[in-house]
Amino acid sequence: MEAPPYEKERFLNAEKEMSELVRASMSKYESKPNVMFAKLSEVSKALSKGLVNWSRVRSLWPLQFGLSCCAMELMDFGSARIDAERRGYLFFRATPRQADVMVVAGWVTKSMVPEIKRLYEQMLTPKYVIAYGECATAGGPWWESYNIIKGIDQVLPVDVYVVGCPPKPENLYAGFMKLQKKIGGEIED
Amino acid sequence: MVTRINIGPVHPSTHGVLRLVADIDGDTVVNLEPHIGFLHRGVEKLVETRMYMQNPPYMEKLDYVAPMSYDEAYVATVEKAMGVEVKERAQWVRTILLELQRIASHLLWLGTMANDVGQFFTVFMWTFTDRDRILRLLEEASGARMFYVNMRIGGLIRDLPPGFDERAREVLSYIEKKMKKYEDFLEKDPLFTERMKGVGVLSRERAIALGVTGPVLRASGINYDVRKDNPYYVYDKLGFQTQVRSDGDCFARYKVRMLEMTESIRLVRAALDKIPEGDALGMPVKLILPSAKNRMVTLSRELPRGECLMYMVADSQRPYRLSIRSPTFINLAALKEMSRGCKTADIFAISGSLDLIMGDVDR
Repeated sequence: MEAPPYEKERFLNAEKEMSELVRASMSKYESKPNVMFAKLSEVSKALSKGLVNWSRVRSLWPLQFGLSCCAMELMDFGSARIDAERRGYLFFRATPRQADVMVVAGWVTKSMVPEIKRLYEQMLTPKYVIAYGECATAGGPWWESYNIIKGIDQVLPVDVYVVGCPPKPENLYAGFMKLQKKIGGEIED
Repeated sequence: MVTRINIGPVHPSTHGVLRLVADIDGDTVVNLEPHIGFLHRGVEKLVETRMYMQNPPYMEKLDYVAPMSYDEAYVATVEKAMGVEVKERAQWVRTILLELQRIASHLLWLGTMANDVGQFFTVFMWTFTDRDRILRLLEEASGARMFYVNMRIGGLIRDLPPGFDERAREVLSYIEKKMKKYEDFLEKDPLFTERMKGVGVLSRERAIALGVTGPVLRASGINYDVRKDNPYYVYDKLGFQTQVRSDGDCFARYKVRMLEMTESIRLVRAALDKIPEGDALGMPVKLILPSAKNRMVTLSRELPRGECLMYMVADSQRPYRLSIRSPTFINLAALKEMSRGCKTADIFAISGSLDLIMGDVDR
């Protein structure tokens, strides 16, 4: 049997009264917000954000992925003469899941596009792309060819372009420094 | 039970974008199918639309580990078509540069090969440092670090710079010293020798039947080298000796390349001793060239990876058709047969010992 409307109202009021009573009793024990603590937590948040960014800038793991000529200079970049690890461009990883930076070194053919897309999708965010050399930047000497993508930026978002045919390993080093500045927020997009 | 696994096209050990589909029974390879074409860009077609001396940059990008040798092969084809003689000193300089390029190419191969069989990045670092020294020499001579484009019809873009002789000798003696270290390090290492000896054996008969060339052919016991059997430039004046091993396995191929490097060092030294004075400059590029005399030209050269055959049908100012028999494309065909019956991990030892360059395979 349904309760009459005034009964319902009474119960509603009882509920309100009850909650008010509870709040009044709780207010005795309620502590005021600690100003010092709030400030500290904000500082630590900012610090940790800065720390994450700082460490992200200084430990870029490139993907071990070479296509053609520029891959030879990429290998030279990883060798002892340049010693790229001193600035945090660390060891070339063979799996995309462990890598942050994809250096597209060489011309990109139409049959290679799905593979590159798949590699890029397998990388974890945040991820960055460097177009290394003429071919990856704009098609290079093969721009007339029927099987070449005219620049990797038609497929992937590129952060830094390193131009030359092929660029010296030192140029890639400069490109990485630019990428670091971009991640650190010193350069806008 | 036979399982089919896919390797590549992006794989750290395939040296480029080679895709291999392997059927394996347990750990034994039953069948291996290489899939190529990931770097195809139609060089032979592009070359037809350009003037003769606009093409060397395209030729260099075929084999990007040893660009100078393809550059030279193409320019020599054009010279043959036009009936131009190469100047006396230019012949010697070209021989020196080609042999230096061969040492650089083999050093890169040695580093990556050691990577493939477990010497992870130790030998690689050493050989790359040494290779850089040679690249610096070539940069002095041509002005570029990787794509030199320093051959001109009848000669070179420039003569050797002053003081090249001493610096080259210094680098050569340094590399000779380092070569002994590499041999000591690698041949006393059981990890290296056990993964190379008796792996990927290619018999003498099969090597001929498959048409492999270069160090792969010479490791199977066949004494054939274009520099010896059909000498060009000044190789016959330098007392060149072919390096042959008869085992036909990966270790023999490694050994042949090491001996070739030693031989190249000797050749460069001998050429530096005997080089005559004179003019080495070729015709300027912008000169409208004398039109071709010979309609069809073939020319074979010994590249670091094997024999390259250039077949050109010449037009007056540009090649009507250029067909290239690239050494690595033919050598790759042997991979299927050599890796049948080996273990899965040995695929990379074998493909590494073939010294594949995918840019040369796909063209």
